Amino acid sequence: MRTRLARILTTVFVLAAVLLPIYWLVSTSLKSNREITQEGTLYPHVPTLDNYVRLFTEKQFGSYLTNSLVVTFFSVAIALVAGAMGAYAIARFRLPFAMERKVGLFLLTLRIIPPVVILIPVYLLMLSLGLLDSWLGLIATYTAFNITFCVWMMESFFREIPVDLEEAAMVDGDSRFGAFRRITLPLAAPGLAATAIFAVLVTFNEFLFALALTATPRAMTMPRGTATLIGRIDTDWASMAAAGVIGALPIVFFALLVQRHLVRGLTMGAVK
Amino acid sequence: MRGATQARKYRLQGAGLDLALPYLMLAPGLMIVLGVLVYPLWDGLRASTRAYRYGSPISDVGFQNYLHLWSDAQFLNALWITVKFVALSVSFEAVLGFALALFCLREFRGIRLLRTVLIIPMVVTPVVVAIVFRLIYASDAGMLTALSVALGGGAVQILGNPLNAFIGLVVLDVWEWTPLMFLILLAGLQSLPHEPFEAARVDGAGAWRVFADLTFPMMRPVLAVAIVLRTIDAFGTFDQVFVLTRGGPGEATRLISIYGYDTAFKFQQTGYAAALFVTIGLVVLALAFSAIRLLRRVDAS
Repeated sequence: MRTRLARILTTVFVLAAVLLPIYWLVSTSLKSNREITQEGTLYPHVPTLDNYVRLFTEKQFGSYLTNSLVVTFFSVAIALVAGAMGAYAIARFRLPFAMERKVGLFLLTLRIIPPVVILIPVYLLMLSLGLLDSWLGLIATYTAFNITFCVWMMESFFREIPVDLEEAAMVDGDSRFGAFRRITLPLAAPGLAATAIFAVLVTFNEFLFALALTATPRAMTMPRGTATLIGRIDTDWASMAAAGVIGALPIVFFALLVQRHLVRGLTMGAVK
Repeated sequence: MRGATQARKYRLQGAGLDLALPYLMLAPGLMIVLGVLVYPLWDGLRASTRAYRYGSPISDVGFQNYLHLWSDAQFLNALWITVKFVALSVSFEAVLGFALALFCLREFRGIRLLRTVLIIPMVVTPVVVAIVFRLIYASDAGMLTALSVALGGGAVQILGNPLNAFIGLVVLDVWEWTPLMFLILLAGLQSLPHEPFEAARVDGAGAWRVFADLTFPMMRPVLAVAIVLRTIDAFGTFDQVFVLTRGGPGEATRLISIYGYDTAFKFQQTGYAAALFVTIGLVVLALAFSAIRLLRRVDAS
């Protein structure tokens, strides 16, 4: 009886610790600035959607959302294709000088280095290529980061699939690449999905490079646009909260939808 | 060995285009990585040995930028703040995450809900996490002030006070990342073998004995991996601080990443900032590789 009570109390406490901040964000986004600063209410007494409308009519949130979707889609898609091929080559072929293992370790090393370390030179590169404040600049950067991650993760998925199946396909007359495309790739699909989901999350949330590489709503992504809003009008708490809700909503929805894959992606490799 | 013979078989099997296949498959990814990450990295190394001064030509200064770091009080201070931030956050996350994972090991009603809810903090965009905490800490519009007023108190000062702001940042990080620690450790706990625990129960061992003699030692490698992963990530923390405090008040929350960013983009000392980041990169890599070594030794023994 006592352990049961303790369990319920702990569960409630944990849920409250996680959900209360979220509640405050959503509830603030439904209040007017007057209600927020002068009345300090604990819940919206006069709920309003004005803050959301203002974001899209006055603050170009539509562009931020479009930019985020375009940039995320292309950088993840390209990284998945290039990453799957690279991972397969590393997992299945033996190259001179054990190159396949060195390439794997090299990509892992790049993955470990904090992104800030590469920030300045990437900025200088995009500056010299004239790619600042453009979709292409962001897509190129995110694709490269995603590839290091995709190769590293997919390699383990490919290793888990028995070679015999490909062999059988090749005996039946399939080419080496054909066996990869028709046999191994579909079998690794759940693993590839987990990788893709994780890449989408990280890319959609990225802020540092978006901050340095973009300057106008032409290319600013959602997190970047949200931060701009905060810098410009510091006391517009209502808009800030609404921006927070819109910035979080798509990705939280997406994550909850695919949470089983997500947990797999997050914990994979860590426990092996 | 098995892999080697297999691969040889494949090479013999392949002819013509198939021989080039591994290279063709590696090429697209490697080309992008070389162009967008490796070349810039090398360029960054070059930049770190130069002094950029507005209006005057770029000059080569060798290792001067690197040497200067160690007499730069602001750099040392930022480094110290970062170390404190990482140590505090990651310790709390490890302890809380481990406790939560042990708690959730048994199936009970509500555990699915709990796991689902715990995913939210770490998938919410870090910038939004910072907004959430600004809305909690703000002295005029914040949740803490609203609660305090509702209870008959006054406004609560968090972000205006150096110590409070630092603690506030640690709380944010713990809120955001304890769930990741929890998930990794729960997966670890679930993959432990059952037999030793059954034997311990037969022997009548108490809960504490089981934890100290079985669970903890067996979980050490997983715990170590989780801590290393979080430590590496926490060293690069930028977004949350940039939005929550921008490093203030004063220098109270100015992590190394914020100092480096300001040096490069606000003060335009590109070469010096590059040297700073290269140093940080080396520290993190050294950390990661020594951790991997340590783990291998633990595994072997």
